[in-house]
Amino acid sequence: MDLSELEKDNTGRSRLSSPVPAVCREEPCVLGVDEAGRGPVLGPMVYAICYCPESRLADLEALKVADSKTLSESERDRLFAKMEEDQDLVGWALDVLSPNLISTSMLGRVKYNLNSLSHDTATGLIQYALDQGVKVTQVFVDTVGLPEMYQKRLQQRFPEITVMVKAKADALYPVVSAASICAKVARDQAVKSWQFVEKLQDLDADYGSGYPNDPKTKAWLRRHVEPVFGFPQLVRFSWRTAQAILEKEAEGVTWEDSATEEQEGHRRITSYFQSEGPRARAPHRYFQERGLESATAL
Amino acid sequence: MESGDESAMEKQRVHVRPATLHDSSPATLHLLPCEVLANRFAPVGRFFTPAIRQGADGLHVSFRGRSLRGEEVSVPPGLTGYVMVTEKREGLIGKQDFRGSENNGEEAQEPLERGFDQFIGATGSFSCFTVWGLETVPGPEAKVWGALTWPTLAAAVCGPPAVHSRGDSCCRFTHRCPRTENQRASS
Repeated sequence: MDLSELEKDNTGRSRLSSPVPAVCREEPCVLGVDEAGRGPVLGPMVYAICYCPESRLADLEALKVADSKTLSESERDRLFAKMEEDQDLVGWALDVLSPNLISTSMLGRVKYNLNSLSHDTATGLIQYALDQGVKVTQVFVDTVGLPEMYQKRLQQRFPEITVMVKAKADALYPVVSAASICAKVARDQAVKSWQFVEKLQDLDADYGSGYPNDPKTKAWLRRHVEPVFGFPQLVRFSWRTAQAILEKEAEGVTWEDSATEEQEGHRRITSYFQSEGPRARAPHRYFQERGLESATAL
Repeated sequence: MESGDESAMEKQRVHVRPATLHDSSPATLHLLPCEVLANRFAPVGRFFTPAIRQGADGLHVSFRGRSLRGEEVSVPPGLTGYVMVTEKREGLIGKQDFRGSENNGEEAQEPLERGFDQFIGATGSFSCFTVWGLETVPGPEAKVWGALTWPTLAAAVCGPPAVHSRGDSCCRFTHRCPRTENQRASS
């Protein structure tokens, strides 16, 4: 898979896609949606769609695609290569959401949680297939969150299409299995060939599976803490594992939005009864409004 | 202006090392919308600068997983920014030679006192810096823009800068932004 676009800039979101098979613009198609790399504290999350004509679903099944989790890495690579050979039949597209995008979304002033990010990305990919002229008639989605809610949302968004959202859809529908293979192949490759934005010294790529409970991953995180900047952008800062390590091993940081909560929140009740000690004269509004303070000592 | 609070604060006399002002090399500075609760050196050039992206809508970067948007701010015309560092207090301060410095005159003739006399020197100079806002460009409302109007106002009130840089005129009123302190560590 050619990830050169991602390698050029992996701080945001990048979309990759196969050419649209001509037959998919003419015949009704089924489309599967799945994701890879939702849980790990490291690396991108990849969303993939895969589609083929309804009439040719048997050909896709003949490739013996299965849930990507039940396949070895080499089997996934082999199956993805086969799908590439069948490119007059099967099309795919994927969105790589960089760990930086995930962190900044989840840690935003207005929190954008992972489920919403997932739903919006899936919706965007289905829309992308439609925009490319794929005649999508049925969509199968492996669920994120409650399948009923998710299905309702997608169905409202795409009233012309039959939407089916199910848990473990990647094991039930070959077109979803195919999407899961695309996603997993891209995710593995992205992590393996990760181009660090940072100019790191003593870098090692021994980060294990990237899952928070993997001792190798945890050890890698501890080794790569930078007291001021925290971690390289490969790490999802919004993960509890990452935050716990930062709390212990990096310098504290207060943000303007975190500071206001504390200040306005809890003034001790006794403070209203105490006589106020001699207080420094407040500077003139001119200085307060400009964040200027008198420097009386160095 | 200082006299009002004087009793409450530690007395200091500050001397600038004039040579460092001429020798200082250009510094790249970033003003972040957060406070790092430490004063230490940070590998800005390895972690932060390479991650800055110039988008169609300005500068983007992230810090600790939060999205920042930035803009360039110029130091007002006629002024130069310096990154000043305080020298450690130990040493043979009694033997300092002030000839040729801006502090010659009365001050230089007084003996130097440990804990009272402080030396500061420039480690870098700048004519612009980058101001970052949390998720939005700081924009014209940002405090820093207002802060930069102070030198002009101060000069209008107290006369040209040459007067008050000499010492004890009414306007020895230096300002610093507490955040710059942290930035200094990371620059």
